[in-house]
Amino acid sequence: MARIGRFVLTCYAVAFYLFLYAPIALLFVLSLNDAPVVGLPLRGITLKWYGFVIGNGHLLGALANSLVLGIVSAAIATLLALFMALGMRRQFPLKQFAMQIVLIPVVVPGVVGGIMLLICFGYLGISMDLWTTVLAAHVTWVLPFAFLMLYPRVSTFDRALEDAAMDLGATPRVVFFKVLLPILQPAITATMLFSFTLSFDEFIRTLFVLGPQRTVPVQLWSLVSEQVTPYLPAVGVIIMLVSIGVSLLGFWLTSRSATQA
Amino acid sequence: MPDAADEILAIGQMDRLSSERKTVLTSRKASTGNSLPSSIVPLAGAAKCGVDYLHDAIKSLRPHHLLAVPGLLWLLVFAIAPLGFLAVISFWTSTIFGLSESFTLDNYRAIFRDPVYFGVLLSTLRVALLTTAFSLIVGYPIAWYLTRLGGMKKNVCVLLLFMPFWTSYVVRTFVWLPMLGRTGLVNELLLWAGITTQPLDWLLYNEGTVYVGLVYVYSLYMILPIYLSLDRLDPRLLEAGADLGASPHQTFRRIVLPLSMPGVVSGSVMVFLLACGAYVTPQLLGGPSGIMFGNIIASQFLNNNNWAFGAALALVLISVVFAGLLISGRRLRLDQVFIGGAH
Repeated sequence: MARIGRFVLTCYAVAFYLFLYAPIALLFVLSLNDAPVVGLPLRGITLKWYGFVIGNGHLLGALANSLVLGIVSAAIATLLALFMALGMRRQFPLKQFAMQIVLIPVVVPGVVGGIMLLICFGYLGISMDLWTTVLAAHVTWVLPFAFLMLYPRVSTFDRALEDAAMDLGATPRVVFFKVLLPILQPAITATMLFSFTLSFDEFIRTLFVLGPQRTVPVQLWSLVSEQVTPYLPAVGVIIMLVSIGVSLLGFWLTSRSATQA
Repeated sequence: MPDAADEILAIGQMDRLSSERKTVLTSRKASTGNSLPSSIVPLAGAAKCGVDYLHDAIKSLRPHHLLAVPGLLWLLVFAIAPLGFLAVISFWTSTIFGLSESFTLDNYRAIFRDPVYFGVLLSTLRVALLTTAFSLIVGYPIAWYLTRLGGMKKNVCVLLLFMPFWTSYVVRTFVWLPMLGRTGLVNELLLWAGITTQPLDWLLYNEGTVYVGLVYVYSLYMILPIYLSLDRLDPRLLEAGADLGASPHQTFRRIVLPLSMPGVVSGSVMVFLLACGAYVTPQLLGGPSGIMFGNIIASQFLNNNNWAFGAALALVLISVVFAGLLISGRRLRLDQVFIGGAH
């Protein structure tokens, strides 16, 4: 009886993983399909759609925008989050309240998060641009996640190490650079990697505060909603490879630092 | 080799750890006579107490607390202030010359009187509730399956569960077009198996497609909290139940299910909130009948240029979300799912 139950459960799990991966596998297959429309049947294998993507200035530009924007917003958000975690690790009045405030950008639905900023920037007459409005939107979106990743590491940091350094005459600055930073470094790196993927994949908030330069998800969106072009699956695969690759790296670093600690 | 499952578990337990640390800190401070002002708040003289509290709060701030200021200031400027401003302009009117700053309730009247908007609000709540139910039904057995695995196999399966959720929401939604379209995989398989003789048209662009898309995109947020609560469950409890003569069914209903309830609630709140605010999935997969509240909010800004009305719609959505949080009575366990990424 129990054995039958186990068998059914295993079959179900296999079906679920198929549900998860079949669409992704299909996307990968279609990105290689030598057919003028997106869809089956397979008409031969080709790499020309990847060639199209590389030869397409708009797509490459959007990809470059997303990569640089991801790096910059990850750096800003991680820095802000690190300081915020350091400032909030000890008890202080209204701490619970402050912790709830941090979650606001995550709890507010994405559409609302986007239009909120659109209204503010629009009303104040700030012109939309990748390095002003979009960057602000991305840092706001990424910051809570960066904080949630760093706070547990920072708040469980062994204070005796800092105290020892202080007793030996280290200034706060030296303690920060010679004690805190080296020990927290794996966590900080992992946070930056995850922050990068969050920014790289962000779509809905970006859509509303976008200037003339597009990001990759927005470019993909306009391709999907205007006309489905045959190189669309290739774009999807490239986006997926970037975000899964960077996430795996972050995951690996977190796991490694967790086992070392 | 990184221990994936343990890492995720560790993340789930961080909250507990940090709260334990808090009590240690509090007691240490108390013993040195530097007690926190929040410890005793007499009911009488509440106003004076409030002033004292603020005074003590300011006095108890140390230079290192200032490190939190830039981050909190950022959130104040780009999250809290915009939220407040959104609330303000929802009482204004949009004209062809821009916003007219005179107070009116007309926007809200229109939302609750116009059957179109109110209808979409109701159908959005229905879709969000059903998506939550489907994710729970689909996800619970998977969470249970993962806890039953051991060692390497468990780590690999947990990692495989995460991977699709690490990538772009737009891509993960878009993949359902070639899955369910006329020349899609499902139709090809059905034709090949001889189940249908013609490709099916109704697989895409209806409310059912929206459910498929939403469950696909959000089920991790259900599975992970349930998995974390099930994984903490002591296997000896199950043995004890069996020894005392409980059938597997009874063991599940009387032991496993109650102990996994916190995870079920966390996951359900999360999926419900995410589904309430869905925009991409209904826009791409829903067709005209699958429109949700997020889409009509967006169209006020992208097409109609009616900001004041759009702000009122957005405020209604936020109220629903916050009401959901209050009713469920628990803080979002975001720490459990942040590795899952964005929505």
